[in-house]
Amino acid sequence: MILELVGVRKSYAVGAQLVSALAGVEFALAEREFVTVIGSNGAGKTTLLNVIAGGARPDQGKVYLLGRDVTGWPTHRRARWIGRVFQDPRQGAAPSLTVAENLALASRKGKRGLRFPLTRRRRTVVQQALAGLGMGLEERLSERVACLSGGERQALAVLMATLAQPRLLLLDEHTAALDPANAERVLAVTEDLVRAGGLATLMVTHRMDQALACGDRLVMLHRGRILLDLPSTEKRALAVDDLVRLFRQEGCAEDELLLSATHSPPS
Amino acid sequence: MSIVMAAVEQGLIYGLMALGVYISFRILSFPDLSVDGTFPLGAAVGATLIVGGWNPYAALGIAFVAGAVGGAFTGVLATKLRIQGLLAGVLTMIMLYSLNLRIMGRPNLPLLGRPSVFRLAAQWGGIPLPSANLAVAASLMLGAIFLLHLLFRTEVGLTLRATGDNPGMVRAYGTSPEGMVILGLALANGLVALSGALAAQHSGFADVGLGVGTIVAGLASVIVGEILLRPRSILWALGAVMVGSCLYRGAILVALRYGAAVGFTASDLRLLTALVVLGALVAPAWRLHREEAR
Repeated sequence: MILELVGVRKSYAVGAQLVSALAGVEFALAEREFVTVIGSNGAGKTTLLNVIAGGARPDQGKVYLLGRDVTGWPTHRRARWIGRVFQDPRQGAAPSLTVAENLALASRKGKRGLRFPLTRRRRTVVQQALAGLGMGLEERLSERVACLSGGERQALAVLMATLAQPRLLLLDEHTAALDPANAERVLAVTEDLVRAGGLATLMVTHRMDQALACGDRLVMLHRGRILLDLPSTEKRALAVDDLVRLFRQEGCAEDELLLSATHSPPS
Repeated sequence: MSIVMAAVEQGLIYGLMALGVYISFRILSFPDLSVDGTFPLGAAVGATLIVGGWNPYAALGIAFVAGAVGGAFTGVLATKLRIQGLLAGVLTMIMLYSLNLRIMGRPNLPLLGRPSVFRLAAQWGGIPLPSANLAVAASLMLGAIFLLHLLFRTEVGLTLRATGDNPGMVRAYGTSPEGMVILGLALANGLVALSGALAAQHSGFADVGLGVGTIVAGLASVIVGEILLRPRSILWALGAVMVGSCLYRGAILVALRYGAAVGFTASDLRLLTALVVLGALVAPAWRLHREEAR
């Protein structure tokens, strides 16, 4: 298994109250598996990713990466196995560094010596990788990332996250802040890179259509628990309407979730 | 000596300090006030060693290391102990005031008649002292700029630059930004202390009060260079710091020499410098505000 969560619980203090963000999550992700995660606001999606990446430490339970217990590890130590793309395109890259410099840093993940990472060979490699995005970014290697649009930055962030060949890719609603055309393009880029690298992937999304169209397994979080876990055979037969019906059966047909079936959420 | 020569000479010597301020403020986005302590620390360490018979070049090197330790201390306070950046710098600065007095054993240490890197260069090259001053200051400053330019293209240098930009990204790509802040502040304050040691050898004394206002002078140099040259790359930015430092020193020399006519005295210098920095910091925001109002 690439990733295993065993009895993970996590609560946050909101004012004087303790709010449970994860209430006993059991989850396992196999090699090459692409799982989409949906759930309403406050279902625990972001906490789930934070617990896996190291930004939040569970109150109870264990996190295993590649069979190792990493529950107490800081983010930067887990980073050698994890690639992550955030919702905000500004979080993915360093704006005052050039496109090439960002990619060089990403591909030399965790190695911070006195070597010049931008060798001619690596320049060619990242140039080819950028050309694969089909956005013309290969012509803009020496431009600072601050000059890129949100969609371009997010495509770059996805490429950076996959470049160092992580074992696990975490996508945190990474198309939610983009306009529909760019969201579509970044999603297509993501699927290409995930397939090409055979990456185990966890993609959190607000949108049911996206959750159904991508990946080979679907997980639904509700109030900190995994409510549904559909393998690829069942997922393939599903339409958005079926998904809505399933949620109703589970007694959690919240308005926001139904709305997000057809509309992308405001962000 | 002409005022231009004097400005360039001082601009190069204090430019090393301005490079340090550029690293902490601009590259790391860390408002580091410990420079007001590490500048006289460099002077104190360097001067004490020379009085003790050390080679002036070795004194510069050891002053750099002392400053680096001071900067790393501020970094540890700010990251590991989670003290606010500004306060961490102030704490280091205050501690260093006492420490500098201890190092020198008294508030002022004269170096008259002692060897200095400038005198050594004059002897070695058989050139007059003013030329040696300029040659030594220029080679140290240009050498520092060249080395920093190389450093900021290495893995660790790019990571330092990313740390000030986007610490979350640095973390996600396998490096602790806290460690980078400590490293960056060590480098910055090493340069500041080096500048202090060099200034002491140049002016012929070290004084415990040398450091007051270092940060403002450094910021003024950085900002003047940025406004005039609008650098787009790191190498240009480092060069702009050098130019800014020379212009800032020139402005001070002019103010001191001709300011008396308008009632300006040396004691008004810091007020004037702080006002220049204030203006430069506020101007962009004010311009933005006006454009939005339109």
